[in-house]
Amino acid sequence: MEAFLTGLDSLMNPQVIVAIIIGSVGGLIIGAVPGIGPAIAIAILLPATVFLDDLVSLVLLLGVYGSSMYGGAIPAILINTPGTPVNALTTYDGYAMTRRGQATRALSLAYSASFFGGCFSILAALIALFAFGPYLRDLGALFGQRDILMAAVLGAVLLIAAHRQTMGLAALLFAFGFLIAMIGRQTTRQIDRYTFDIDYLFAGFNLIVVIVGIFALSQSLILLTGKDDDPPEARVTRGALLGFTELAKRKTIAVFSACYGTVMGIIPGVGEFVAQFFSYSTARALSKEPSRFGHGSPEGLVASETANNAVPAAAMIPLLALGVPGEALTAMMMVVFFDAGIKPGPDIFENNPDFLFSLFTALLIINLLVLITLLISSRTIAKMIYIPNRFLGALIMILSFVGVFSIRNSLTDCIFAAGFGYLGFILRRLNWPLVPIVLGLVLGSIIIERIAAGAGQVKSLVDLVNRPVSGTLFIVILCVLGFILWTSIQNRQQADQ
Amino acid sequence: MKAPKDIYLFEDGLPGGTVDGFKSECPPDKKFKVENLFEFKRGRGDLAISAFFLGLALFFLIFFFTETGWDKRKLPQPFGTYLAHQLGLVEMEGRVPRFGRLLKQSWLIPMICLALLVPVAIWNFRASLRVYKWRQRFGLPTDMRYEFEKYGQALEYVGYFILYTLAVPILGYLLSTLILGTFLTWRLGYRSRKWIGIGFASSFAIVLVFRSFLQIKTPVSIWLYDQLPAALRGFMLTYF
Repeated sequence: MEAFLTGLDSLMNPQVIVAIIIGSVGGLIIGAVPGIGPAIAIAILLPATVFLDDLVSLVLLLGVYGSSMYGGAIPAILINTPGTPVNALTTYDGYAMTRRGQATRALSLAYSASFFGGCFSILAALIALFAFGPYLRDLGALFGQRDILMAAVLGAVLLIAAHRQTMGLAALLFAFGFLIAMIGRQTTRQIDRYTFDIDYLFAGFNLIVVIVGIFALSQSLILLTGKDDDPPEARVTRGALLGFTELAKRKTIAVFSACYGTVMGIIPGVGEFVAQFFSYSTARALSKEPSRFGHGSPEGLVASETANNAVPAAAMIPLLALGVPGEALTAMMMVVFFDAGIKPGPDIFENNPDFLFSLFTALLIINLLVLITLLISSRTIAKMIYIPNRFLGALIMILSFVGVFSIRNSLTDCIFAAGFGYLGFILRRLNWPLVPIVLGLVLGSIIIERIAAGAGQVKSLVDLVNRPVSGTLFIVILCVLGFILWTSIQNRQQADQ
Repeated sequence: MKAPKDIYLFEDGLPGGTVDGFKSECPPDKKFKVENLFEFKRGRGDLAISAFFLGLALFFLIFFFTETGWDKRKLPQPFGTYLAHQLGLVEMEGRVPRFGRLLKQSWLIPMICLALLVPVAIWNFRASLRVYKWRQRFGLPTDMRYEFEKYGQALEYVGYFILYTLAVPILGYLLSTLILGTFLTWRLGYRSRKWIGIGFASSFAIVLVFRSFLQIKTPVSIWLYDQLPAALRGFMLTYF
């Protein structure tokens, strides 16, 4: 309780309050504009966080992360274009409702479902912190260098497994990210890895340079070389509060969708997509009117929106508990931890429990603030849909420069960011997944660091896996690898038939 | 709360994708599965970029022996027996070196990475080549020119970005940003006064927020500012 109160106290800081407001309202707008998305916004904001307090930075990024999916539902429902990729399923039922003249009903239902999903997972995390906090403090002692190393390896394996039909590509791009992470001078023995005697490479690639290039600049190039959309006109009327009454009638779907979102969010590498598709298909299986799914079913809308909004808070759990990010956005947040000198992982329960309470309480406030903003200004935010894509591309390019340059005052960084941006542009055009590159960088850095730190305790190969946690994680890794192999064989057999 | 075993989101095809006026006696299989949402098809530029990644993997493999400290390696001898001992296959006599010493060596991480990168790059290139040949065989378009034209178009904007980067130490962050913001708006075809004004104002707003308000770092030595009177130079360097 003391930690909770200390956490609340740190949220009273005016800087934090401003970060909550900017993050949540900004994220809402970013989500509502198709073509930007939270990953690009966070990539651009990352360098600015270097100059801010760690809690302020994280709250700002969490605001963008948590609120963008609310905003993303607006164009998904009104113009059949998801604001963020995870709102794709919302278009199926949301836009069908708009075509039937029920745009306001669909929006209000999406807002209330999102709010429910968001608050459900935050409250679940807070209750878990209250209930298990004292025990979690002892968890730190169980986690050594080798255990975190295994957790990072598990994160990598899950990431690759989650890419289903593109596992080979995910493995290739993960290895590419890992390769970038290792370039530079090895600190312990002063041996250079792939530096080719180029001064710039001695310090290695800065994580933010790669992230801004791969995510922000590449998307800017996609927008600049594409065409402007011509979205149809959509009208939003008053009555956004009615969604809560309708949600109450569909509480079963809302609750299991929120559960799916929370559970899938916790598993590294899985995330919003799988959560919402599982909840959507389950909702359809349980529904009395399954044929309406995809044709304007409110239940379908509730299932997809609840599940994807339950993920952000849950996705913070593996990041905070194990120090292992599960997807791109939490990987970017990891950079804030690196800069702040905080090492997320089991020790955080012992050393900074108030920090955890601050984060989750801030997320709760963000959800509330977003809902209020949406209820009073839905019509204004809906107008953001009409900003031309290519003009946005130009703005993202200008913002990317300041983002990259401010890190080390290096023009070379900007030129390398341009190179990564160009590569990201080509990969985006070919539909290759970009997330494995970033996770390769972040998890690769963790693996390199933990191998170096844990080497002193390793007498034999078995020592890597003979601890309770590392052993368990190793078994899980083997199981996941076995599952991948089994599904590959099954798919091959089906294809042959 | 168990997920259905066989997940079909839309058994009758994607929403909005059906034509109500015609019904065949033998409808095509339009079941839409979860797997379809993750469906990936290799496009026309795929072979080129797969070849690029294979080349990159081989490049790093070739330089592994000179760029990772491999030449300064310290391997326990006989190494094969040592590895077999670590895997519990044989016993070694005398004092066995710690495995941790091997983990500390600088070439180990690159070796682990290349052990993943090189095989998957070869596999990916092979898969891409198979799709390319398949397209050729069935007379599907394989010409990559359109894709390369798009890459060329993007290079133009990459060029603007690099020029902007080089212009900042000469003209300063404010002027360079205003020029780029206005020029890009014009270049993209928004040539009315209204849009040029919006482009100019947006660029100015970015400078105000990031440089004047957030005090994000920009180059400290700017040629144009050096030509200004001392007081104005200090002001410009601090806020713009």
